[in-house]
Amino acid sequence: MREIFSNLLRRKLRSTLTVSGIVIGIFALTTMGSLAEHFNSLLDIGVRYAGAAIPVQAPPEQQGALLPLSKQAELARVQGVSAVYPGYTVQARPGGSAIQLGAPDLIVNQQAGAEQYGLPGPKFAAGRNLAPGQQGEIILGPTIAGDLGKRTGDTVNLPVKPPGAREDFVSHPFKVAGVLTKNGQTDTFAYVSDADARMLLADTLSPTVRSAIDVNTVAQSFTVFPTKGTSLNEMDAIAARVNEQVPGVHAQKPSELVANFKSAGSTFTAIFTGAAILALIIGGLSVVNTMIMAVSERIREIGLKKAVGAHTGQILREYMLEAAVIGALGGLIGYGIGLGLTTLLDVLGASSNLDIFLVTPRLTAIALGFAIGMATLAGIVPALRAARLDPVTALRSL
Amino acid sequence: MATIELVNLTKRYRQGPHTITALDGVDLRIESGDFVSIVGRSGSGKTTLLDLTGLLLRPSSGTVLLDGAETAGLSDGRRADLRGRRLGFIFQEYNLLPALNVLENVTLACRYAGLDRREGRQRARQLLDLVGLAERLNHGPDQLSGGQQQRVAIARALVNRPALVLADEPTGAVDTQTADELLGLMRRLNREEGVTFVVVTHDLDLAGRTDRMVRLQDGVVVSDERLNAA
Ligand SMILES: Nc1ncnc2c1ncn2[C@@H]1O[C@H](COP(=O)(O)OP(=O)(O)OP(=O)(O)O)[C@@H](O)[C@H]1O
Ligand SMILES: [Mg+2]
Repeated sequence: MREIFSNLLRRKLRSTLTVSGIVIGIFALTTMGSLAEHFNSLLDIGVRYAGAAIPVQAPPEQQGALLPLSKQAELARVQGVSAVYPGYTVQARPGGSAIQLGAPDLIVNQQAGAEQYGLPGPKFAAGRNLAPGQQGEIILGPTIAGDLGKRTGDTVNLPVKPPGAREDFVSHPFKVAGVLTKNGQTDTFAYVSDADARMLLADTLSPTVRSAIDVNTVAQSFTVFPTKGTSLNEMDAIAARVNEQVPGVHAQKPSELVANFKSAGSTFTAIFTGAAILALIIGGLSVVNTMIMAVSERIREIGLKKAVGAHTGQILREYMLEAAVIGALGGLIGYGIGLGLTTLLDVLGASSNLDIFLVTPRLTAIALGFAIGMATLAGIVPALRAARLDPVTALRSL
Repeated sequence: MATIELVNLTKRYRQGPHTITALDGVDLRIESGDFVSIVGRSGSGKTTLLDLTGLLLRPSSGTVLLDGAETAGLSDGRRADLRGRRLGFIFQEYNLLPALNVLENVTLACRYAGLDRREGRQRARQLLDLVGLAERLNHGPDQLSGGQQQRVAIARALVNRPALVLADEPTGAVDTQTADELLGLMRRLNREEGVTFVVVTHDLDLAGRTDRMVRLQDGVVVSDERLNAA
């Protein structure tokens, strides 16, 4: 081992260049990979949601229209449907800062008990779930909690009153019951009861609309759950039945949503693969080059080692190990820089909800394993050349 | 104890259409504890003889017997093992590894023979003390003079307690006085450690101070005399 580092130090410039080559490759791999991991994790959750529920909204020609809450019972009667939840969404910080880069902070109604139909249940970093039937409580995603500067037990007034808001802008006090763990998907969401969500929805309606309807009889959307484990095909069939049997609503086929997610996923996988190929070419070639040079300038040493009893396999191992050490060095540095940069960018972007990198243990293993594996592989040919040298020829060379 | 027997040893090199006979039917028996010099003009086959004896090279015909055991049929791996355990080499160009310090250079053979490291280091220290380099264990080869480097190489050759040390012009790159000292050192190790030495040299003065002088000419032994070194 010491011999390897000593040899690397003896050729400082060359070692630096080689390691830099791997650093560049693994840096690209880490940053592109964490980008891909981030989006893939979102897509995975997306696929899980899309594969678990059928979203029902107003038909496309009356997009955004409110739906009568009575549709809930109609939807529930469709064959294959086991639960229907109304959905409400309002902005937590309406008319906020002019340009917002990340996802907006939203208040939605909690679909309590949806876990039993295959959705991921809430995971709490602190506090507890909403008490059933209790109004005036709220659960915050980690991002929105950070934006609002609130913790479990605090009281928060929502929606946040924007600067220059109208006189009649209303906020309501909510007690923070719990804060969720980060999952990359629902971090900017706040959850309230159905009744509270309707109250908040009413506040967003124009006075004429508000006086014309009873907000307690409407929903913005519905989420239709089949029983857990229903196949995508059967869910498509349920969506088709909804569109056929329930007038005035539109159900989207889950398979279309899943396909959208999957095609987006393959784009990121392609980007990641591109980065890997880049890393392979840059890093691999620099290792091949370095190892060839190392072997040719150490031919006499190899001859000497063989004279004092080294076997072909032992020399092979030494040179492969040297290549692997170069790979590990470059991999660690490249991964370190990549990790540092993505973490820094995410921290900087946190204020605008711009969280776009995700370094997973899998990515760490891939980046380091790739660096070491690639270097070792690149070292095989030069190492074989070294190991197979005839001792006399090697000793008498130069 | 170890004896080395060369039986009808022949080595031919093929060079294009020509065949060069570097060694032509050499018979030689070297007794354990002997201190033998091999002399002869350039191209007479001295290095070839040494490389064959050291199992670095395979003969075209004939054989090398180590303690009466045939070596011709051995695999490369077995020959490497024998080199590591039973033989030591000293070269004109020292051939120390620049990436290793003095002590590590000496213990190099232990690495490949899979010998106990602590024991190897202890033996190396003892030998480096013997060759007068006890103070330079952690120095790099580039911090040593030629004579000192060759003394490191001598210690390296002896670290595995070999039966036979083969030296190819070990004093070829140093001045006369240093050459004298190096030969004195090898003689001392020969006596104190009972190691057999075969030394190839151009220097007839040096050869005259060994126990036995073998003269090669055109690949054939032309004289083999026992000397009375004082
Ligand atoms: N690898 C080789 N290929 C072809 N011919 C060789 C090879 N090695 C040695 N020879 C030839 O074999 C003969 C003996 O060479 P060898 O090196 O044994 O001589 P030597 O006595 O050691 O000479 P020197 O005193 O110059 O070292 C020479 O004619 C040389 O040219
Ligand atoms: Mg020679």
